[in-house]
Amino acid sequence: MNPQPFTSRVHTPLLIIAAVFLVVVMPVLNATGFISDFTLGNWGKYLCYGILAISIDLLWGYTGLLSLGQALFFTLGGYMMGMHLMRMIGGEGVPTFLSMVGRTEWPSFFLPFSSFPFALLMIILVPGLLAYVFGYLAFRSRIKGVYFSILTQALTYGAALLFFRNELLMGGNNGFTDFRTLLGFSLRDDGTKRGLYIATAILLVVVVAFCKWLTGSRFGLIQRAIRDSENRVLFSGYATANFKLFIFVISAVIASFAGALFVPQVGIINPSEMETGKSLEAVVWVALGGRGTIVGPVVGAVSVNAIKSWASSGATADYWPLMLGGAFVLVVLFMPKGIVGIPGQIAEISARIKRNRNQAAPDQAPTPPSQATDP
Amino acid sequence: MIYLPIRLPVMRSCIGLITLLAIVLLTSPSLVRAQDATAPAAISGTVREIIAAAVVAEPADQKQIISNFKTNPSPEVVGWLDKWKEGVIFIHEAEDGTATAVLLDGSAAADGSFATVKLSDGSPMLAANGSPVRINPKEVDFADTNSGLRRAMKEVTDLAALADPDPAKRIRAIQDSSIGQKVEKLPSLEALKAMEKNPEALRALDVAISIIKLKSPTREERIKACNDLAKIKPLSARDIIKSVLTEAEAAKDRELIAAASNALAAIDSHISTINAFGTAFRGLSLGSVLLVVAIGLAITFGLMGIINMAHGELIAIGAYTTYVIQNLFVAGLNLSPFGKSLSIPGLNLESGANLYFIVALPASFLVAALVGLVLERSVIRFLYRRPLESLLATWGISLVLQQLMKFIFGANNVQVSSPSWLSGNWTVNDIVFGWNRVFVIGFAVLIIVVTWLVLNKTSLGLLIRAVMQNRNMAACMGIRTERVNMMTFAFGCGLAGLAGAFLSQIGNVGPFLGQTYIVDSFMTVVVGGVGNILGTVISALGIGMTDQALQQYLGNPVIGKILVLGAIILFLQWRPAGLFVTRSRSLD
Repeated sequence: MNPQPFTSRVHTPLLIIAAVFLVVVMPVLNATGFISDFTLGNWGKYLCYGILAISIDLLWGYTGLLSLGQALFFTLGGYMMGMHLMRMIGGEGVPTFLSMVGRTEWPSFFLPFSSFPFALLMIILVPGLLAYVFGYLAFRSRIKGVYFSILTQALTYGAALLFFRNELLMGGNNGFTDFRTLLGFSLRDDGTKRGLYIATAILLVVVVAFCKWLTGSRFGLIQRAIRDSENRVLFSGYATANFKLFIFVISAVIASFAGALFVPQVGIINPSEMETGKSLEAVVWVALGGRGTIVGPVVGAVSVNAIKSWASSGATADYWPLMLGGAFVLVVLFMPKGIVGIPGQIAEISARIKRNRNQAAPDQAPTPPSQATDP
Repeated sequence: MIYLPIRLPVMRSCIGLITLLAIVLLTSPSLVRAQDATAPAAISGTVREIIAAAVVAEPADQKQIISNFKTNPSPEVVGWLDKWKEGVIFIHEAEDGTATAVLLDGSAAADGSFATVKLSDGSPMLAANGSPVRINPKEVDFADTNSGLRRAMKEVTDLAALADPDPAKRIRAIQDSSIGQKVEKLPSLEALKAMEKNPEALRALDVAISIIKLKSPTREERIKACNDLAKIKPLSARDIIKSVLTEAEAAKDRELIAAASNALAAIDSHISTINAFGTAFRGLSLGSVLLVVAIGLAITFGLMGIINMAHGELIAIGAYTTYVIQNLFVAGLNLSPFGKSLSIPGLNLESGANLYFIVALPASFLVAALVGLVLERSVIRFLYRRPLESLLATWGISLVLQQLMKFIFGANNVQVSSPSWLSGNWTVNDIVFGWNRVFVIGFAVLIIVVTWLVLNKTSLGLLIRAVMQNRNMAACMGIRTERVNMMTFAFGCGLAGLAGAFLSQIGNVGPFLGQTYIVDSFMTVVVGGVGNILGTVISALGIGMTDQALQQYLGNPVIGKILVLGAIILFLQWRPAGLFVTRSRSLD
């Protein structure tokens, strides 16, 4: 009836149009003054969150691993970029976060971050290695399902506790801020901001294309098989732990890149980005947009954050958590496929009504797939 | 202000002590000298008369007169000396120049003046013409004291404290007496030691005497004092012994060095024993907190498989229930839910502050269980087959509940005052057991016993276990599994409410109270092994102990906590399904 319930139904031409709009049309509109710098900056942020959401969906929607640690990888990428940006501030002496703990010189691990390629390497390596080690330990001992979620949450919690300490020399509570230049361009210039937006949009397009390719390949098939019944895959002779480890590292790196682009756009990185709630919030975007699709998470991330920046200020600020929490419960209960699943759900319901009208045997109606697929 | 003659009760039991003190002091050489010097003053009479005479005496004589009280430092004397220091004794100077010590009497007249009474006997002060004397305290100077006089007074009050009938006060006075290591205090302390019956006071006396003897001019006595201290191992003597050791090293006195370092080592090993016990005790109480917080989750998550992220908010609900009940028992409370002001009158019960907890416990259980019931019927029951999605939905619920609590009770923390008996502590061999920590442990034991009884000795418990072990089979046997689910979830939530009532006793209550504990409680349940209450108990105590031990060892709570999280991740390598595995033939 519906063998691949969570695959994307959005057609490629539509995706290309959306990509062209985000990468080309938006910046042009901004340059000609139709879209304000503020709006463009917000969209840059939303798209970063969109990339983060894809990384979660790659794990949750496609492999059945609900990771509550993606915010950690996102923040780590942000910190790596932040370290580079801190080194680029220049000037005499050391920044306050170092002088505050009695340091008069940069700690040695900061020094190589003056080079952008090195920072780029670290953006890949640090979260990648952490994900590798943690994933290796977790998947080797076959920790899965809920346990995996709780462990990743604990990992994030522990890391947040660590980063809140000034003695880590990563800025403590306040994190890094007051950035000036990136690759020689002033971060205050409209041109640089537009450039960062374009870079984010391009990264998003690349990530979407990569994930489309990956999930469409044989690898993607095994991924989905692991999600649906890991034991059968295991018995068929696949080392599922290696597949899971690979996808865990890939999505950690994707999240890290999103964080690295996020930091120069918002101008600050601090440990509150990796608090437990942040990971869960990102999972909400995925659930709301539609998990098991590549575009759904982006739609979810952008729409939730657009509504949030509208609703979480002014008179409605107090009601925002109510709206978010309520929306979440409703989505989980009634829209298991999220926003991008709505057309499918409507089609299904109308088909069922049509069938019921045609034949008087309602008990042959198929059960909703969402009930059957979860472990 | 009324100053009537106050006769402080002199306990019979301390009369003996005082008399003894008097004898000792009279025979000690320094006091004999004092006796000679004050001979010309030759003041006798009641305490009040002596004090009254002292107030108007020449400054040089005042000190001597006060020092005479050392022979009989009764509480009455201390009371009058305190009044003198406070400046409520005034000096009235008659026209002929005679000065009299007076006290104010009655209330102030329109011009601010008071009637007066004589300090010496409490009779009204009359002028030469027979009219009562009124003085204005703003115009007349009170009887002054200088530093020498105050020192003399302090010596008298210290001596009185040494004879205080209250053992706690007496012990404190004994401990204070060794400060400064004044050798002249030794005879009186030795005399006290002969009289003292209270073992703790005796120990304090031994310590004080030995500490003073460390300053003794004879070397043998110093060594003996060191040896004595090595036996008693008082913490307070550590620094003094250390300084003795440095002096001995400077003087190259081998025997003294050996004795002092021996005493120091004895005290240090005593300190490390105390620390070990203290750490174990703190670990036990932290483990109990974790246990109480996690036990509800062990039911909802462990037994039912619902990842209840709203568990923390149910704890907060229990805590707020306690807060409301407490205020209902005393003065009532004012809330402003959703911007509307709501005022609930209180019962104003006499002993409400201590009694409310008895009502608050079941109330917090019931309120949280009710909320849990509503949640189960409205949301959770649709998610039994989708555990990961129950995580998301309950997180949404937790956001909503947090915000609702913020609307009703405000974003700031509220204070729940705990019953007064919780604030004391109990010291055994220098190890301090705070009553609140003892309460924590006792409460945890209570909750475990209750949970165990419900699960193993009631028919509800039997149904719960049957449904959780095999839902389909239970349904086939005619058990209404829907209903059992509902009751189980409500029971787990009620336990969370109890945890809230409990947490309100050891900290503040706020809308985000539960967030602090949510990660910890999940960890506890996962380590213990899902579906096993005993596992939860062991893992809670284990995590608590490890945390406190690391904290003690590293001296840093955050690093300790991070290490515990790392240890848990590694532990799950060894036992992926926790301490106790529920064995089953089913795959997944």
